[in-house]
Amino acid sequence: MEKFKQNPVVKKIGFNRIILIGVLILMYIVFCVAIKGFAAAGADHLMNTLNYVYFLGFLSLGVTFSIATGGIDFSIGPVMFCCALIGGYCFNSYKQPLGLCIFYIVLVGLAFGIFNGYMIAYQSIPPFIISMASMNIAKGIGAVFTHVNSQSFPQSSDPVNGWFTRIVSYDGFPVGLVVFTVAAVICGIIMYNTKAGRYILCLGSNEEAVRLSGVDTRKYKMIAYVICGICAGIAAVYFVATYTTVQPGYGDQYNNEAIAGCVMGGTSMTGGIASILGTVIGVFIISLLQEGILAFGFGKDIQLIVTGIIVIVAVYADVTARRRKN
Amino acid sequence: MGDVILTMKGIDKSFPGVHALDHVDFEVRRGEVHALMGENGAGKSTLMKVLTGIYKKDSGTITYEGKEVEFHNTREAQDAGIVIVHQELNMVGDLTVAQNIFIGREPVKGIRIDDKKMIEDSKALFDKLKIEIDPTAKMKDLTVGKQQMCEIAKAISHNAKVIIFDEPSAALTEKEIDDLFAIIRDLRAQNMGIVYISHRMDEIKVITDRVTVMRDGGYVGTLITKDCTKEDIINMMVGRVIYEEPKTHSMCPPDAPVVLKVENLNAGRMVQDVSFELHKGEILGFSGLMGAGRTETARAIFGADPKQSGKISIMNKQTGKLEEVTINSPVDAVKAGIGYLSEDRRRYGVVVGKSIIENSTLACLEDYSHGIFIDKAAEKKVTEKYIEELATKTPGPDQLVMNLSGGNQQKVVIAKWLVKNSDILIFDEPTRGIDVGAKNEIYKLMNKLASEGKSIIMISSEMTEILRMSDRIVIMCEGKKTGEMDIAEATQESIMDKATRNIK
Repeated sequence: MEKFKQNPVVKKIGFNRIILIGVLILMYIVFCVAIKGFAAAGADHLMNTLNYVYFLGFLSLGVTFSIATGGIDFSIGPVMFCCALIGGYCFNSYKQPLGLCIFYIVLVGLAFGIFNGYMIAYQSIPPFIISMASMNIAKGIGAVFTHVNSQSFPQSSDPVNGWFTRIVSYDGFPVGLVVFTVAAVICGIIMYNTKAGRYILCLGSNEEAVRLSGVDTRKYKMIAYVICGICAGIAAVYFVATYTTVQPGYGDQYNNEAIAGCVMGGTSMTGGIASILGTVIGVFIISLLQEGILAFGFGKDIQLIVTGIIVIVAVYADVTARRRKN
Repeated sequence: MGDVILTMKGIDKSFPGVHALDHVDFEVRRGEVHALMGENGAGKSTLMKVLTGIYKKDSGTITYEGKEVEFHNTREAQDAGIVIVHQELNMVGDLTVAQNIFIGREPVKGIRIDDKKMIEDSKALFDKLKIEIDPTAKMKDLTVGKQQMCEIAKAISHNAKVIIFDEPSAALTEKEIDDLFAIIRDLRAQNMGIVYISHRMDEIKVITDRVTVMRDGGYVGTLITKDCTKEDIINMMVGRVIYEEPKTHSMCPPDAPVVLKVENLNAGRMVQDVSFELHKGEILGFSGLMGAGRTETARAIFGADPKQSGKISIMNKQTGKLEEVTINSPVDAVKAGIGYLSEDRRRYGVVVGKSIIENSTLACLEDYSHGIFIDKAAEKKVTEKYIEELATKTPGPDQLVMNLSGGNQQKVVIAKWLVKNSDILIFDEPTRGIDVGAKNEIYKLMNKLASEGKSIIMISSEMTEILRMSDRIVIMCEGKKTGEMDIAEATQESIMDKATRNIK
C-alpha cells in the first residue's frame, strides 16, 4: 500500500482521488446489481446523471475557489436560480434574443460574485453572513423580477431557438460534458498555474502572512468570489438548457450538494487546500447518488438527508485527518 | 537538595519514522531546579509529554514518590502534583485573574459560583508567591509577565510537588525574569522539584542546580550547574563551540549613505514621535522592554498597521538620493524595498501549509510569472539556489514549511525577502524559539547580508543579542525613543538605563 502511495503517478493524482474514483465505479456497480433495470436502462440513467452533473459541476467548481480562501458561499444555488429567472423573464416578457439572455444570466452571476467578494474582502464581513444574506436577496430578486412566475426556456423542438438545448447534448453526443471538462481544466489552470490561484490558496492557509509579504490579499480574495459568481451564472445556463423551466423561491438545496461535491473531493473547509479534480469526481458521485436514490424509488426528501450526511462525513474526515497530522 | 521525588528510567518512544526518545533517564529531587536542555527536536518536550500523560511511552519506568506510576492524561498528573507551566499561556483574556486560576474547578455555593471564595483563595496564592496582582482584574489587561505569574499561581494551586517550566522566559523582559526567578527560588525553598526548560544559557547558570542535556532524542548527561561552564553545556548539546564574536565597534563605515530616514512617526499610543536613520550595510539594533513599541514602530513603517503622521524617506536605487515615500500598506512597503520578518513566524512569516517554493516567491511572484501564469521551473530554480545559499535543512524545495524546524523556517522567510531583493530588512526577534545551533547560523547570515550591503533593523529583547549584533542601537521606552548609541559605547547598564527612562 505504501509503495502504491509513493508511485509518482498516484502522487500526482492524489491517493484520495484514486479512492474516490474507486468509490464512483463501485457505486455504479452496486446500483446496477441492486436496482432492477438500472443496468438495462443504463443509458437513460447515465444521461440523467450527466444532466445533473453539468449545472451542479459549475456550481461546485465555483465554490471550490471560495472555500479555498477559507470562506464559504451559501448563495450559489439561489443565485443560480435568480440568474435563470432574470434571463428567462428577459426572454419571455421582454422578447430579448436568446443569445443576449444567456449573456444576462452570466452577468447576474458575475454581479452577485462582485457584491459578495467586495463585502467579504474589502468590508471584512464574514463570508457566512454575506452569503446567507445574498441567498435571501437572490431568492427575493428572482421572485420580484418575474412577478413570481416560473420561466420557461425553448425546447429542443423549437424551430428558432432549439439550438439552446444542444449545448447539453447534440444527437446523443454529450456536448455539456465536453464544455464542463474544458471548464474544469480552465479552473485547474487558474488554481494551480496562475498568480491568482497561488495567492488564493496561500491566503486561505495564512492570510496575514500573505498580506505581510506585500500581496494585495483583498483583491485576490475578491477574485475567488467573482469566479464563484460567474460559475453560478454558467450553472444557470446549463440548468435551464437541461430542464427548460425554473421556479422562483428555490435553489438552496443545490448549495449543499455543490459544497458536498467540493469537500468530498478533498478541498479543505478551513481553506488553503483545494482539488479541482477532486471536485469533478465529487460532483459525479453526488449526481450518481441522486439518480440512484430516485431509481431505488425514494423521493427528494431522502436525497436531502443523504446529501446532508455526506457533507458531515466529508468534513469530519477532513477535520480528523488534519488533527492526526498535528 | 532533598531526596529524589521523580525518576524516569529508560524512557523509549517512537513515532512513525522517528525515534523520538531513545532510553532517556531523568530525575528530579525535592528542592532543586533541574534544567532540561537540548536543541529543538532533541526530545525535551516529548519527554515532558510522556511524563504528564499526553503521550504513552513505549517502554521504561516512571517512579514518583517511591511508587511506579503511569498517567493517562494531564488531569491525572495534575492530581498527583505534577504540573506544567506552558510556554504559550493558556488563559481566557475576558475572564478575571481569579476565574482563570480556578477555571474548571470553581468553588460553588449551591449551584452558584462562589466568587468571593475564589478571590480570597487567589489572594492567598499570590501572598504565598509574594506577588501583587488584583484577582478581579481582567486577564487581558495584565502584562505578559503578570500573566505568567498567574499561570504559576494556577500551577501551585493544584498542590504541586513538581513544576515544569517550559521556556517560561521566552516572552519576558529582564525585570520580569528577575521576578520569575525570585518566585522559582521561593518554590525551591518550599521543597518543590522544579524542571526548567530553556534555550537561554545565561539563565541556566543563574537559576538551576543541575543540568540534564538531551540530543537527538537521547540522554547525553547530567551536570552540576556550578561545576560546569556554558561551553561545557553547549558542547554537550551540539558537539561544537559556537557563536559569532560580539562586536566591539561598528562594522559599518562612517560615511555609509542613509537608506531609510524616519521622521516624527506617530502610530497610536505605542509609537510617539519616533525618528531615526538607517545606513547602508548597517545592523541597527532596537532595544527596550516588552511593550516599548518597537514591533509597533516596525509594523507602522511597513504599513502593516495604520499610522497617524510621520515622514518616511528611502534611498532611490538609481539616483542614490533619499526620496519621501508613501506607505499605506505592506504592498507599498515591499515595493519600496522593505522586508519584514515577524517575531511570530508561524502566524505572520510563513504559510506553514505550503511548500518552500511557494513561500520563497510569495513576495515577488510577478517576477516568476509570464503574464498571469507562474513559471514553475524558474521558481524551483531560485528556491533551490537559496536553499543552498542559506544552508536550509530540507529534503527538497517541495517540502511543506510546517515540517521544518524554527531555524529553517526563519531561513525560508529570509529567502523570501532575498528573492524579492529587498534592501532594507526588519528582523523582529530573529532568533525567538530557535535553538542554539541554528541561532548562530542566523547571526552569521545577518552579518553576511549587512556586509553585502543590505541594511538591517534588528528588534531584540535579548541584551546579549543586541550587544553581539548591532552596529548602532536605538532604545525605546513606552512608545518613545529614549536613546541612541554606537556599539563602541554601549553597555548593558547604559541600555537598561535608557530602556526604563520613562517608567516611574
